[in-house]
Amino acid sequence: MVKDRIENLLLKVKSPSRYIGGELNSVVKNKSDVDVRFAFCFPDSYDVGMSHLGMKILYSLKNKRENFWCERVFAPWVDFEQLMRENDIPLYALESLDPVKEFDFIGFTIQYELSYTNILNMLDLAGLPVKSKDRTDDMPVVVAGGPCVCNPEPLADFIDLFIIGEGEEVNLELMDLYADMKKRGCSKREFLEAAAEIEGIYVPSFYDVYYNDDGTVKNVVSNNPHAPYTVRKRIVRDLDKVFYPESFVVPYCEIVHDRAVVEVLRGCIRGCRFCQAGFIYRPFREKNSDTILKQTKNLCESTGYEEVSLSSLSTSDLSAINKTLTQLSDYTEKENVNLSLPSMRIDKFSGELMEQIQKVRKSGLTFAPEAGTQRLRDVINKNITEEEIMQACRLAFFEGGYTSVKLYFMLGLPTETDDDILGIAELAEKIVDLFYSNPNRSRGKHIQISISCATFVPKPFTPFEFEPQASETEIKHKQKLLLDSVRSRKRINVSWHKYSVSILEAVLAKGDRRLCDTIYEAWKLGCKFDGWDELYRYDLWLKAFEKTGVDVNFYAHRTRAYDEVMPWQHLDYLVSKNFLIKENQKAREGITTPNCREKCSGCGVSKCIGGACFGKN
Amino acid sequence: MEKINLRARFEKSGRAVYISHLDLMRTMQRAFKRSKIPVWYTEGFNPHIYLNFPLALSLGVVGRSEFMDFAVTEPADFDKLRDSLNGEMPEGLRILEIFEPLYENKDVGFADYMIDFYSSADSCETLFLLNKMLAEDKIEVDKRSKSKGMIKTDIKPHINVTETEPCDGFLRVFVRLPAGLKMNINAGVFTDAFAEYSKIEFSKIYAERTKILCLNGQDFK
Repeated sequence: MVKDRIENLLLKVKSPSRYIGGELNSVVKNKSDVDVRFAFCFPDSYDVGMSHLGMKILYSLKNKRENFWCERVFAPWVDFEQLMRENDIPLYALESLDPVKEFDFIGFTIQYELSYTNILNMLDLAGLPVKSKDRTDDMPVVVAGGPCVCNPEPLADFIDLFIIGEGEEVNLELMDLYADMKKRGCSKREFLEAAAEIEGIYVPSFYDVYYNDDGTVKNVVSNNPHAPYTVRKRIVRDLDKVFYPESFVVPYCEIVHDRAVVEVLRGCIRGCRFCQAGFIYRPFREKNSDTILKQTKNLCESTGYEEVSLSSLSTSDLSAINKTLTQLSDYTEKENVNLSLPSMRIDKFSGELMEQIQKVRKSGLTFAPEAGTQRLRDVINKNITEEEIMQACRLAFFEGGYTSVKLYFMLGLPTETDDDILGIAELAEKIVDLFYSNPNRSRGKHIQISISCATFVPKPFTPFEFEPQASETEIKHKQKLLLDSVRSRKRINVSWHKYSVSILEAVLAKGDRRLCDTIYEAWKLGCKFDGWDELYRYDLWLKAFEKTGVDVNFYAHRTRAYDEVMPWQHLDYLVSKNFLIKENQKAREGITTPNCREKCSGCGVSKCIGGACFGKN
Repeated sequence: MEKINLRARFEKSGRAVYISHLDLMRTMQRAFKRSKIPVWYTEGFNPHIYLNFPLALSLGVVGRSEFMDFAVTEPADFDKLRDSLNGEMPEGLRILEIFEPLYENKDVGFADYMIDFYSSADSCETLFLLNKMLAEDKIEVDKRSKSKGMIKTDIKPHINVTETEPCDGFLRVFVRLPAGLKMNINAGVFTDAFAEYSKIEFSKIYAERTKILCLNGQDFK
């Protein structure tokens, strides 16, 4: 029994309740009663993984089926991993405490590039070969989904099949197929061939990649008659009808997002040109206010959480936002539950919304102008004006009594010049001046502005997929320029992300299959938890690049031609490449594109779903 | 709003022993919320369920008779309250009884523990070493002090071993230790001291807190 063996070790590690299961609402079944066992792995720590909504949805969805059992698995923190390895304890799932090696499926959700090495590490900790070709028929099928699999190529050697798009339907189809083929005693290869015929399933070993002399991809060709030429992502049509969990597993220890979460809409109407989520999650679909209220009630009652949060890419774009908030706050106030509203757009920031936000806590406001000048905001299609930013701040300071604002920006955006960087500082200074222009300001109250700068990472399936990432020298220059141009040092605080992290993100996001060796090498050298500052080892990644002959510039800093074959070209995310090219051209000219609700811009999605996204054609 | 103070006696065992004190607070609050009993919320800008634990329990130690204070806004049947709460308790947590508190937090004075020391050594040999330690003039341990950092403290006068029982594979020790605001010695301080003194590599130390007592020697309730 794993349980007895781990119990002796638990008192030696940080936050042991993460490793023993037994949390409220976790689903325990009898393994002899189920046909298919699925180990749902989040390749990061429990605290991070347990906060992830997609996992909660798919966990409940699969467990609702009597013949399936889905369990949770997280990457053990380094202290516990060491003890597990020393004591020969294999990676196990939290519900049964059984080794994941005994499962039918091991499924990873891949939310960010910096978790790639953890995938290899978890497979290894499970006692499995990390490469698909070395895993035999008696070992689990290793699958992966999530936003990062829109370019799955850097992971092609490690994952048997990728699930492209939204998982609610295709996961069940896949498991049903497996249950049937398992009964008939089919081989893993036979299963993969049958699976490849399901829309949304991509089996990387059924495709060969050819390269040009200059190192770019020449083409990607299916080598198996069961594997389609392109794999199209899956979507669910109706968010009011799609499955949503009535309960969440409630952890004992504090996790990153320790609250009930209700997804209110999927997709985004905005089309900000840097934002991958804004393109790969299209089309826009929303829930009606009654559905949202019902799901909120269900979750609050089954979990006992004191806070519920509405989740989406842009909650203020919900068409019935005011009705929804009124209905919800009637309920949450009665029940002493806090309602939190992240992801609100600055141009939609009204007195009504502010009142709602303030009911929870008044710690500070966060806005994301992303760029410092109107010119650059037009380039990225952010579609907010300086006047809107000032208006929102005026409301927050004069009416709301706020004294701190956090502003998110990106450095290294396409076409960015020094003027754009100076614009960030100027905008912040204007907000400071606005604060002190309040005639009713109480004496002794001061403003605190935090400017947080990320380095722009060009991502697949965005109009900026062709763009190079700025070099380290350029970014250093921009950072210094920004710091030097801030005058109110006491009131404005500037911070940024590590450049060495952003560059790895760019390489992995836009990489091809040749990066499989690099990831393998980096993991062998000891890279894991790359998303954690204290464990990130860029020096080891540099070694891995060198050893595997990977030129970082080729992947991250090169402009890609419109007609270049992208490593992910054989995947279809419904948005057409022509649209991305058109948007890229408009960006270069500084022309904005209206949001989808105002006017359809013909991204290609409506053609694929057989009708307009917004009621009329 | 009316506020009726109540006290619950509960058990914390099984997987629940890995819940830290802070996490136990959250876990209990959520269970109270789910149970829908008329629990009393703190008044203020951010109301939350009022809970108070007269004596914290260390992570890893089983609690057979722990206490938790809360309040309700209307009179309720104690057994019904208990059953409603137990319907919402996660694995390892169980409310044993609910009553009106007799003593205050500051009255807590002692706690009884049952501790099993597992090792490959013969348990009579372990007992011999324990008795040897208890016969020493002083038993000094490092204790954190608020003002002076780590200081050496003699815990010998405070250790009251009431019974020992050599068993197959382990030595069972019943010990009473000071607990509460004035002087507090966790079971871990005692087991660490013995591990260091005896030089035995214990493969497992199982500890249960069996009772909490007042300074006057009465059972806390």
